[in-house]
Amino acid sequence: MNTYSLKLVLLATVVVTLAAVALTDRVSAIDEANNCSYFSSSQRAARTRALLEPHTASALTVKVANRLATVTKAQQTTEAETDTIDRHLFDTMAAAKVVPAQPCTDLEFIRRVTLDLTGRIPTPERIESFLGDKATDKRAKLIDELLAKPEWVDKWTMFFGGLLRNFSNPGFIPARGENSRDAFYQWIQNSLRTGKPYNQWVTELLTTTGENSATQGDLNWLTGMLTFASLRVGVLQETYDQQALYAADNFLGLKHMDCILCHNGRGHLDEISLWGRNARRSEAWEFASFFSRTDVVQSGDTGGGGGRPTQTGQYAVRENTARTNSDYFLDGVELGNRPPRNPIGSVNEIKPRYVFSGKSPEAGERYRVALAREITSDKLFARAIVNYLWKEFFVIGLVEPVNGLDPARLDPDNPPPAPWTLQASHPRLLNDLAQEFVDSKFDLKWLMHQIVNSRSYQLSARYDGVWKAEWERLYARKLVRRLWAEELHDAVAQSSGIVPTYTINKLPPINYAMQFPETFGMPVATIQFGAMGVPIPPTGPPPPLAYVTNFLDSFLRGDNATSRRDDEARINQALELFNNKFVLERVKAGNPNGILAKSLSLTDEQLVNKLFAAVLSRPPSESEKNLVLSNLKKGSRTEQVENLLWTLYNKVDFIYNY
Amino acid sequence: MKNQEQFNRFIACHPHAHHSFFRRPHWDRRAFFKLAGAGLTGSFLTLGTKQLDAAEVVAQAQVITRNTAKHVIFILMEGGPSHVDTFDLKMIPGVTPNNLNPERIGGTLWPTALMPKLAGHLGEIAIIRSMRSWALVHEIGRAWMQVGRNPNAREAAIAPHIGSIVGLEKEPERLAHQVFPAFIALNAESANGPGYFSGRYAPFKVTTTTAGLTNITHADGEARFAERYSQLQLLDEPLRGTAITASPLGHDAEDMREFYAAANKLVHNEAINQAFSFTPEDSARYGSDSFGDACLVAKQILAARQGTRFIQIAFGTWDMHRNLYSSLPAQTTRFDNGLSALIKDLKVAGLYDETLIVAGGEFGRSVGALNGQAGRDHYLQQSFLLLGAGVRGKTLGATDPTGGQTIVPGWARERDVRIEDIEATIYSALGINWTTIRQDDPLGIGFPYVPFSQDDVYGPINELWDRTNTPTPLTGGRRGNSGRSSLP
Repeated sequence: MNTYSLKLVLLATVVVTLAAVALTDRVSAIDEANNCSYFSSSQRAARTRALLEPHTASALTVKVANRLATVTKAQQTTEAETDTIDRHLFDTMAAAKVVPAQPCTDLEFIRRVTLDLTGRIPTPERIESFLGDKATDKRAKLIDELLAKPEWVDKWTMFFGGLLRNFSNPGFIPARGENSRDAFYQWIQNSLRTGKPYNQWVTELLTTTGENSATQGDLNWLTGMLTFASLRVGVLQETYDQQALYAADNFLGLKHMDCILCHNGRGHLDEISLWGRNARRSEAWEFASFFSRTDVVQSGDTGGGGGRPTQTGQYAVRENTARTNSDYFLDGVELGNRPPRNPIGSVNEIKPRYVFSGKSPEAGERYRVALAREITSDKLFARAIVNYLWKEFFVIGLVEPVNGLDPARLDPDNPPPAPWTLQASHPRLLNDLAQEFVDSKFDLKWLMHQIVNSRSYQLSARYDGVWKAEWERLYARKLVRRLWAEELHDAVAQSSGIVPTYTINKLPPINYAMQFPETFGMPVATIQFGAMGVPIPPTGPPPPLAYVTNFLDSFLRGDNATSRRDDEARINQALELFNNKFVLERVKAGNPNGILAKSLSLTDEQLVNKLFAAVLSRPPSESEKNLVLSNLKKGSRTEQVENLLWTLYNKVDFIYNY
Repeated sequence: MKNQEQFNRFIACHPHAHHSFFRRPHWDRRAFFKLAGAGLTGSFLTLGTKQLDAAEVVAQAQVITRNTAKHVIFILMEGGPSHVDTFDLKMIPGVTPNNLNPERIGGTLWPTALMPKLAGHLGEIAIIRSMRSWALVHEIGRAWMQVGRNPNAREAAIAPHIGSIVGLEKEPERLAHQVFPAFIALNAESANGPGYFSGRYAPFKVTTTTAGLTNITHADGEARFAERYSQLQLLDEPLRGTAITASPLGHDAEDMREFYAAANKLVHNEAINQAFSFTPEDSARYGSDSFGDACLVAKQILAARQGTRFIQIAFGTWDMHRNLYSSLPAQTTRFDNGLSALIKDLKVAGLYDETLIVAGGEFGRSVGALNGQAGRDHYLQQSFLLLGAGVRGKTLGATDPTGGQTIVPGWARERDVRIEDIEATIYSALGINWTTIRQDDPLGIGFPYVPFSQDDVYGPINELWDRTNTPTPLTGGRRGNSGRSSLP
């Protein structure tokens, strides 16, 4: 197998060839839709019943419920400006006769919101001042303070780096080296820092042109979609398709465009997407055709060999206005990762048309300018980013999976025909919040501000009384989430006082993992790639910082390319927290910079309080304190203090945001 | 072919459990609990930390299991090997290269040039040629293989991996000193999970390297680790829950307790070190590649006898849409080296007769002429290999001259073999009642180990253990034609 074909085969694994589906092995789509046990009306009825059925609350739940103030209509109207979230969530809980958890305590709140907004744990000093603050609006003030911090920029740069797929891993992509990756990273960072409206982000990414991707960050969304099939065998539609696929996924939450780019929806998406079941491949081509006047070409170093770009190469994005007959073309060529694009009758060229509005570029208008206009003015665009961000705070998206939006099932004023139902768990909430986001001029910070100021977000993760699994989608308690890999790394670094310094490419020195420009191979690559992006088996000892990379990888940060960030729990995560050098070297009292060396002179009780505050952001409970104090009296005090810090890093309330 | 027709009718009446759709999202267990809550009884969650055990089940039928295997090695040949160029060789004039050195070995046409070492083991390998996949999408096909049912069906949202079920069923046989996870997945990052079972039965995912597992020793010493761990347990119990109390933070925290308990047993454990690390010389005997290394480590894990019952090895990629004949030899050589060395070493270790090895892809590849890129595309007909644990060498079933469909099922149910039948076979080989329906599932509908076991739709392929050979296929026969009746 030559390496070129290997690469194509690798690429082909993520794309499905459906031409080979034997007709005899398919039940007709119509039969399937009628007989489908998955969406049968009886099952749907059962589910709805379960949601609405009054349940017998336990005595404790009743007691708790009686303690809670009821939300009156008056309150709802007076708080209307910030109350969209609470109104919808609490109304739905009330309709289902589900009692929400109690509000979280100040201690729970400061840790939760600091992690959610900035990816860091709060400092003991800030916790103390927050608890001492008697102002009634102190939570709101803390939120404003966090939203203004540079750490807020760090965390959301990481988030958008994932969403927009910023990576330089040559195992996946031909056209983005480290310099280009860093330029994209800085563009994201700068967009967040300057409060750039989100519709402007997306417009810039979609419409940009320029000669040097290593210095012009916004070129890198488009260059990242260059495919080997386009590059090596000239199947240009492969790149248009890739750009279309990720424009739909990233900006419209519409991953099913990927399916439609190979085949019509009928027979494939019948059960999942009301829009998708009727969508035709030609419509996906019309969407992809918006990219058909765009050239992604190598503009600098040409040393990659055989047309393959180098990792350090520079790319240009150029508008090709001179083309004739060069819209998305149907040439029947079989090469590439998707089934051949066969002419439809005599039609062998597809003009751009935005599937949801039916609009095409105006006379003389650049195709991508038209596309950006159509996407950013589509309600789907606002819904998608609201849903993506909602999940980061509430752990479950209003629509799940978050990139599985069904455009035909989102408008609460225009519900789909039975047996379909509106897709979001709270359709009006998604709709209203999306509209308010548009009204805020696409202000990402405003959206987060609304979410974390809501009473719903500020419910406790603990639930008094009997909890039912189905209440998770009602958000009746705060759902816990495992910290991101970077959050764990940074919490250990910050609380131990032993902060590392990493050098990444030409970026300024980096201290916290949340500042890494991508998730793969940071701070050092533990996998090397050969000339054609083929992994080379490791030889010799691992690089010096490989243990940090392994620590971060074990918490499944994803690679920004094909694997997404995941909160799956695994045995080896425990092994990392037990034994990884990154943790162990930070629980040593001998390090003069560490919190332990600086605390040994304290009394036992002071020391315990200090470590709990620094690591867990809370004081110990009485029983915890007694247990820990008795440990400190056994054997070497220094060793016991080290043991204590180690145990705190392995506690469930360190590893989870609750 | 009455049975095939009956089976087809059954499928037509139960389409959803049998027909896949393009990449319909299937949920992992965590996502399931988060998303699908409305219709659930919540029984799993309200169980608190109570462990599921093998007793809360209903066995549907009196069954006789084979009970010849103690362990299973499950080789998932990702991408789907071209059956007509390997295990169901069809010499197609002008297509199949002349240099495959096809040999008829004990009635089986075998591409000796591609797999010379396994040619010498054909007397003990059962090749199922009457096998048919359900789905032509990689992700769906692979998940189907691992949970033994349609990954898009309702119960699949909670379905444990076959290995998790094996782990749970065999947990009562675990001895006090045995500390390895019951289910280990080698080089299989994306292996399916434990479904609604506890994290204890999740696959322990390991990428094989000569150095073995990372971070299984505590740099501050074993005694120090033991002290720290016991302090942690005491300090954190109220939050992560115990065997009798639930965690106030919910099942995520309880799962974490399970993972910590498992991890604790792996630290400073010489057996773990020995089982997962290896020398370049050993690796060379297995072909010096990731598949060979996984076979080597699998053998070492079983030889350690530390309670591991199910090992999955992911071995890609067989997805040869283009330039098939220039890609295939390298891949079959890897398979040939790894599997033949595994057979030999298991025999030396006295493990071969108690280890069932299963190997196959998520589907086969298109038959006849090559596609426009000199490759083969996805195709439902496929071949599967089973060996060890008393399985007899033979070819079971036969396809038409193209390899496109079954003409001789070659087993008692007289229809295509499906992955659900392989699943039942694995359970039977291990002495597990494949008709079990658990009553502890969160859907409250009863969770069958093998789908439709109440209707006896699927079952083990007992012929694998029989001495008699399968009948010779009739040339030119077609499915359902009268030629079938003349077969024994």
